[in-house]
Amino acid sequence: MYNRSIRGPLVEGNKTYGQISSDIMAPIDARPGMWWYLTMAIASVAALFGFYAIYITVSKGIGTWGLNNSVGWGWEIINFVWWIGIGHAGTAFSIFLLILRQRWRTSINRAAEAMTVVAVGCAALFPALHMGRVWLAFFIFPYPNTRGPLWVNFNSPLFWDFIAISAYLLISFSFWYMGMLPDFATIRDKTTSKVKKAVYGFFSMGWTGGSHQWIRFESLSFILGGIAAVLVVSVHSIVSTDFAVGVIPGWHTTLFPPYFVVGAIFSGFAMVMTMMVVVRKVYKLNDYITDNHMDAIARILTFISLIMGTAYATEVFMAWYSGNEYEMFTFFRNRVTGEYSVQFWGMVICNAIIPQLFWFRKIRKSTWGLLWISLAINLGMWFERFNIVVTSLANDFLPSNWVSYTPTIIEIGIYVGTIGLFVVGVLLFFRYIPMIAISEVKGVLNIGSKIDD
Amino acid sequence: MSTKYKIGVFDEEKTLVASIKSLQERNLAIFDVFTPYPIHEVLHLLKRKSKLPTAGLIYGITGALSVLAFLYYTSVLDWPIDYGGKPFNSFPSFIVITIVLTILIVTITSLFTFSVRAKLFPGQEAVIFDERATDDKFIIVIDAGLLGGEAASEAGRIMSESGAVEILEKDLTEKK
Repeated sequence: MYNRSIRGPLVEGNKTYGQISSDIMAPIDARPGMWWYLTMAIASVAALFGFYAIYITVSKGIGTWGLNNSVGWGWEIINFVWWIGIGHAGTAFSIFLLILRQRWRTSINRAAEAMTVVAVGCAALFPALHMGRVWLAFFIFPYPNTRGPLWVNFNSPLFWDFIAISAYLLISFSFWYMGMLPDFATIRDKTTSKVKKAVYGFFSMGWTGGSHQWIRFESLSFILGGIAAVLVVSVHSIVSTDFAVGVIPGWHTTLFPPYFVVGAIFSGFAMVMTMMVVVRKVYKLNDYITDNHMDAIARILTFISLIMGTAYATEVFMAWYSGNEYEMFTFFRNRVTGEYSVQFWGMVICNAIIPQLFWFRKIRKSTWGLLWISLAINLGMWFERFNIVVTSLANDFLPSNWVSYTPTIIEIGIYVGTIGLFVVGVLLFFRYIPMIAISEVKGVLNIGSKIDD
Repeated sequence: MSTKYKIGVFDEEKTLVASIKSLQERNLAIFDVFTPYPIHEVLHLLKRKSKLPTAGLIYGITGALSVLAFLYYTSVLDWPIDYGGKPFNSFPSFIVITIVLTILIVTITSLFTFSVRAKLFPGQEAVIFDERATDDKFIIVIDAGLLGGEAASEAGRIMSESGAVEILEKDLTEKK
């Protein structure tokens, strides 16, 4: 049960229902500020750079990347895992917190889900391009064909990954869209513009808010929430098996699935925090995304950061404890000290140490504190993936195979392009979709107060 | 066809619930209640039930069995391939795909069922009794044609006594 006298109201400023609708709809009706156009322009340029890099990759081939025989996975896999991790915010926020009946999720889940859809879309680009001949990507679908072995290998984690990512994208999108029906109807009924009435009316699919609709809406959201909660665990576990079933030192460990899942939720929450700090500042939605919301996210991040620290320590300890010379080499000579120590220590400092600053209330309350720490976590999570992918491959069992790896401008271009795409997606979301679930916030307006009793 | 409706507009959840209770005490049938957010008490009073969870369970069981059957068919019957000495029916490694695809199947089929049962389709015209019902008002709709004029005016009186801020009458002519 939500204790209002201890935790404060979920929505501040004594709002009425009408005010909630107009406050959240305001960014859709108003003209976006100069910053919106400026950011959109920069992000579009980045996205165009990305499309150019993709064009070169597709027309010339994977040879334009910095990969070689030893390091067969580089920035593409790092960025793929990074984006999928960020995409965990949607399930973690909207589904996990729904199941756990954490009512504070209502102000944040819509944005987290939007972010998930865009981030998973960005992530899916990388494995598709990595196939080399992207126009033959449909080969991975299991359907009767005339290509020799007929069916794909159902025992392969790479195929599991394909299934997991596509299912995750479809499910996140459905869940997100379904949740928006009542809000689209609110815009349809409240707006004065004829065009908006028609467009949002179309997308609201005839929603009226009648009891027959609400009962099914509630049932559906619990069915989807209940069953999709498994995805919080499964998606990134499957990504981790891409590595963990390999024999490469540093990958071949049973710690990987939980380690990846926790890491994914960590980066997802961090990205949500980055976005919420911006939304609060720019759209002045502090009454809905209150200090308490940010405080709750910060506390969760602090706790997950401790788990991450434990996982890093466990990996290093197990390398020593196993007595395996290759593991010892990978961890002690390659990661902790050696060629890739910058990435290793970057990961430890950004993920395990910096977030511990959230123990101080002053930092949890400071906008800049929240922003910088959340960005540090996202950087740290990128380092973590670099650490896993590149250090293990660059120096494995045979010293004659040892190489170093540097990404080419094309690889960097694709990464920058996906960041651009992500920002474009998020900006469009800010502009055209109510970024807070209007109907859900109305439902928790009086929660725990006298009126509700 | 023309049907007359009596509409009670409420400001608060509390008065809405009280009004539903007194209408039900006098056995005056409520056509429907429209609210900006789901109110469980209202759904409970109107005895609204959804069979979606049962449908979801059936979809899930059917989905899981079909996925397993498909994997067995492709890997054992249709074109068995030896992958590193694993048995053709390597059940443990089929579990991952089964779980993920079952979730996908349940999601899509439940959404489809939801769309049919709640009558929500792309481009579907909404039957709107009062536009404020998705914003800040709670609305009880009484089918005056069904109840008859006398009962309907009694319903109107009960609604305004129990706190309705407005009582409206609406004539919705069904579009052919």
